[in-house]
Amino acid sequence: MSQPPAEAQVAVKINEDYCSRCSICQSLCPFEAISKDAESGQIILDIEKCQVCGICYSACPAKAIDIIYYDCGSLLKYLEQAKPKYKSDTLVIMCKGSAPDFAGIKQIFGVSEFIPLSVPCVGRISEELLLQAMAMGINKIFILACDEDYCRFDRGSPLTGRRVLALNRLLEQLGYGREAVTLKRHSLKVKVDKDLCIACGNCAFYCPYGAPKLESVGGIRFDLDACRGCGLCVAVCPAFALEMDNWERERLSTTISQMLAEMKAPKVLIFRCQWAVFPPLNGESNPHVRAIDLPCSARVDAFHILEALQKGADGVLIAACPEDDCRQEGASGRAEHFMGMLKERLNQIGLGDRLHFCHVARRDPGQMDKELEQFNQSLKAIATKRESQ
Amino acid sequence: MIVTALKPLDEILDSIFPYNRVLIAGCDGCTQPPRGLREAETLKKLLELAGKRRGKDFQFKVLSLVKQCDSFLTASELKPHLEGVEAVLSLACGVGVQTIAELFPDLPVLPAQNSHFLGQENREGGALEDRCSACGDCILAQTGGICPLTRCAKGLLNGACGGAREGKCEMDPERDCAWELIYQRLERLGKLDLIREFRPPRNYQAKAWRLTT
Repeated sequence: MSQPPAEAQVAVKINEDYCSRCSICQSLCPFEAISKDAESGQIILDIEKCQVCGICYSACPAKAIDIIYYDCGSLLKYLEQAKPKYKSDTLVIMCKGSAPDFAGIKQIFGVSEFIPLSVPCVGRISEELLLQAMAMGINKIFILACDEDYCRFDRGSPLTGRRVLALNRLLEQLGYGREAVTLKRHSLKVKVDKDLCIACGNCAFYCPYGAPKLESVGGIRFDLDACRGCGLCVAVCPAFALEMDNWERERLSTTISQMLAEMKAPKVLIFRCQWAVFPPLNGESNPHVRAIDLPCSARVDAFHILEALQKGADGVLIAACPEDDCRQEGASGRAEHFMGMLKERLNQIGLGDRLHFCHVARRDPGQMDKELEQFNQSLKAIATKRESQ
Repeated sequence: MIVTALKPLDEILDSIFPYNRVLIAGCDGCTQPPRGLREAETLKKLLELAGKRRGKDFQFKVLSLVKQCDSFLTASELKPHLEGVEAVLSLACGVGVQTIAELFPDLPVLPAQNSHFLGQENREGGALEDRCSACGDCILAQTGGICPLTRCAKGLLNGACGGAREGKCEMDPERDCAWELIYQRLERLGKLDLIREFRPPRNYQAKAWRLTT
């Protein structure tokens, strides 16, 4: 994704010159952020309510909506670069909320070589993008969406289902076979190791969805249909009896080690909610910064933060959604609470300044950079002070 | 459950400083907030970081025991892990620490926690509160299920003292007056006559030092 110019730091906006006032965006917005002015008929976007899901962007027939994250142009540019890199004509588009690792994707779709495209909600993928991709020489498109009632943006997954159905009919008439685009649904869930469970009830108390059920005999039973994969229970389980698909403790530890090894000092490791910050398509290029995307800031684990500090991180920054924006029923507030407790302990050993928790909203694209800059400044001040002592 | 709070990290560090190979033993028993494997791992990392700043490289082992206060379980669970261990840092309450001390007379065992009370976990309020003093002579039947010995700051068995202001204790305005709570509860239950009954001074002999199982 190319960096937008500084003056255009609005995540989503409606271009009045192109808007035909058809109200499709208004009818699809899951958050009632779009309204029609009764007098002028003008379509108005209330950015404070907008969750930047991109559904309106992908549905606007007049291309009157601009979005700065993962717009059609940058996605196509990414595909152009990725096609020779992955040496494949198969494209797998997946929602961040549902995507397992590459091995998992291979298993779900039965493909070995593919171009991966991970987006925050597949609902932002328009028919145009799929057609353009095919025109580019992509022969087969797989889409991995979240289970419908698991969709972080409520309507993204169901909408994609309808789109794929309609598009396949069209493509069939054009001679592309019955299923040029294949959609499957998948959601990441908690994994329970019953042998390790000490039946303390922490998960049952903290789960925003009532997925863990306390049973008088045998401890805890998980209703996986209710689990929405935030990972909060994993971070509060005192016995390490829970793991989150794709964000297993060991896997995160390995990632932390790898990232810190390839970074240049001073090193800042970011743990961010994947819904709070939409990362650049081509990864992070700043050698001093690496980020680990989590299913929700609540998955952030004191364990991993301390590990990062031990392995040479100069600072650890946690980026969570503002509590009102949290797509996980206030889980970001829990994360803030636990990070406060960890910071208090780090203060005791003189390392409190190395941990910074902040709220960033995806509707305010410059916020993350600002937080990072401020944190860097304070780390620099600590280093200068240490040297002068 | 027995409610504990982690000691200041500096104090823990001082206590383990003479040793290099330390086993951090969590407890999955009643101790709250949970002091199991996660807490033990977290403490290990904090102490490693803090130790480095003091120029000390600890070698920690980490495990969590089912119930440190159970001498049978603790003996069998802990023994296989003690080779080369110079000291045990226990995350359990004072009972767990003493159990290990009795089981392994030659092994220093150090508390990582301060034990506070037999408490209730108020999850929504995010608090743990003192509820039982283990006096050995329970009078909750007469006091509407509210223990004045524990919850009245003065431990009065015949209250109220008259010092409460708007239902709060004169010694701590954050704290509810236990006797006002008792009065309200007995009133709800239609048992206000109980409050007129005289309760003799606490019988300290009632508290047992040992009970047979």
